[in-house]
Amino acid sequence: MEDLGITVIKVVFIWTWVLLIATLMTWVERRGSAMMQDRLGPNRAGPFGLLQPVADGIKLFTKEDIVPEKAQKILFSLGPVLFALPAFSAYAVVPFGDKLVLDGKEIILQVADVNIGFLYIVALGGLAVYGMVVGGWGSNNKYSILGGLRSTAQLISYEVPFGIVLLAVVMVFGTFSLREISLAQQGTFLGFLPNWGVFKQPLGFILFMTAAYAEANRVPFDLPEAESEIVAGYHTEYGSMRLGLYLFGEYVNLYTLAALTVTLFFGAWHLPYLDMSHFLGPISYGIASFLVFFLKTAFFLWLFVWIRWTVPRFRYDQVMGLGWKALIPLSLVNLFVTALIIQLTV
Amino acid sequence: MLKPIKKPVVKREYTFLERIYLWEIVKGLKLTWKHFTFNVRASFRPGPHTVPTCWQYPEDRRPIAPIFRGAHYLALDEKGRELCIGCGMCARACPAHCIKVKRGKPPEGQEEKYAGKTICESFEIDMLRCIVCGFCEEACAKGALYLGPDYELAEYEKGPCIYDKERLLANFRKARAEGKLKPKRKPVPVAAPEKKPVGKKAVSPEGKASGSQKEK
Repeated sequence: MEDLGITVIKVVFIWTWVLLIATLMTWVERRGSAMMQDRLGPNRAGPFGLLQPVADGIKLFTKEDIVPEKAQKILFSLGPVLFALPAFSAYAVVPFGDKLVLDGKEIILQVADVNIGFLYIVALGGLAVYGMVVGGWGSNNKYSILGGLRSTAQLISYEVPFGIVLLAVVMVFGTFSLREISLAQQGTFLGFLPNWGVFKQPLGFILFMTAAYAEANRVPFDLPEAESEIVAGYHTEYGSMRLGLYLFGEYVNLYTLAALTVTLFFGAWHLPYLDMSHFLGPISYGIASFLVFFLKTAFFLWLFVWIRWTVPRFRYDQVMGLGWKALIPLSLVNLFVTALIIQLTV
Repeated sequence: MLKPIKKPVVKREYTFLERIYLWEIVKGLKLTWKHFTFNVRASFRPGPHTVPTCWQYPEDRRPIAPIFRGAHYLALDEKGRELCIGCGMCARACPAHCIKVKRGKPPEGQEEKYAGKTICESFEIDMLRCIVCGFCEEACAKGALYLGPDYELAEYEKGPCIYDKERLLANFRKARAEGKLKPKRKPVPVAAPEKKPVGKKAVSPEGKASGSQKEK
C-alpha cells in the first residue's frame, strides 16, 4: 500500500492533466474540423488560437445562469453534476504510465489498481445516462426529453456489446485489473506481431470502437444531441457553466475511452518490439512510459474528431438496428470464438 | 448556354464491402485527411492569403473592381479645381433621398478654385440612408461625384456617418494618394427625347431637365 501523500499527488496530477487535455481538445476539435472543411477555425486568441478554450471558459462563466420557468429546478441543476461526476471519476482505474522509481520507492502510474477495473468503468459508463436523462427531463422541453430518451435507449443498447467485448478481452488476458492487462501486452505474439490486444481481438477491437463512439455520444452516433433533428438534445435548455459542465464531461469521457482503448488494445505504454525499461533509467522510464501512453491516447482522441467529420450521422432506427442486430450477435460470436481458441490452446 | 445535366440515376445493390461499411469509412478518412493536410500546410505557408478558401480580412483583402461602389468622394480636376457645380442632379436621382446639395456662388476672388460658374456651398450625404446604388454617380453631369474604393464605413457614432463636403473632399484626396481614383465614366447614352409638337403644359419637368442636360 502506498502512502496517502503519493496517492493525493497522483490524483491531483491526473485530474489536472485530464482537464487540461479536455480543454485542449475543444481547441483541437474546432481547428481540426475547420481544417477538414477548408476553413481556418479560431486562430485569433493567442498563438494559433490556443487561448480560445480560455476565452470560451470566460464566456461560459460570465453568462447568465438561466433556469427555465417551468423546469424542475432540482433535477435541472442535478443533471450536469450527474453527467460530469462519473466522467471525472472514471479515469481513476485507467493507468497513465508504467511506474516511477523514486528513492527506491515504486510509484505505479495509476490512481487505483483495483482488481475490478473493468466493472468500475462499465458501471460509471452506465451512470452517465442519468446525467442526460435527468437533465432532459428536468428542462421541461420536448427536444430535451427526446434527447434524454434517445441517450437512454442508445447507451443501454450499446452497454451490452461493450460489456461482452470487454469480457472477451478479460478472457484473453485472464484478469480484470487494467494494470495487469497492460503489463501482459509486452513482447511479441505469434513470433512477429506485438503482443497487443488488437492483434488478439481484431473483431473485438472494431466492436469496441463502435460501442465506444456510441457510449461517448459522438458522431456517427450523436443521436442524443443531433443538432439537425432535436436542436441540441438533452442540453437544449442549458446555458452558462451548466452547459460547460456537460461539454466538458463529454471531452473527459472521450479521454477516458481513448485511454481505455490504448490500455486494452494498443499495448498501453509498450512500444512494439522494444522494451524501454532495459535501456532507460528508472525516472526517465516512468516519464517515457507516460509519454508513449499519452501519444497513443492522443491519436485516438484525434480519431474521434477525424471520424466526426467523415461519417454522417445514422438514422435512429439504424443505430438501434446496428446495436441489436449486428453488434450484439457479433460480440457473442467473438466471445464464443475466443473461448474456443483459449480452450483449445491452453 | 448551359445544357441541363442529364444523368440517369442508377440504382444498384451495394457490394459486400460497402455493406460492411468499415472500408468505406477508411476511404472517407483518407479524403478528410487529404483536406486536413492540404489546409494545414497552406496555413503554415508564409505570406498573405495562403489558404485558398479563406481571406483573413484585416490582413488579406480581396482586390476590388475598378468600378467598385464604396464611400463617395467629390472629385477635383487636374488643376485642383472643384468640379461640383451644385446642380443637385445627384440629390434628384437618389432613391433614398440621402443627398442634400446647396447651390451658391463662388466667394469673391476665389473663382479660380472652382471649375464651374456656380458651386455647391454645402454637400451632405447621409451614409446611414445611402444604399450605395451609384445613381448619383451616374446622374452627375460634371463627373464630380463618385463612389470610391473605400468600403470600411463603420463609425462609433451617428454624427460622422453624415458626410459633409470636407469629408467628401478628404475621401477624394485619400483615394488619389492611394492611386485608387475611379476611371472617368463613359457618358451614358441618353436617348433623344421624341420631338412631338406638344403643348407647353404637357411637358413634364423631367423632360425639361433632360433637355437642359442635353443642351450642355
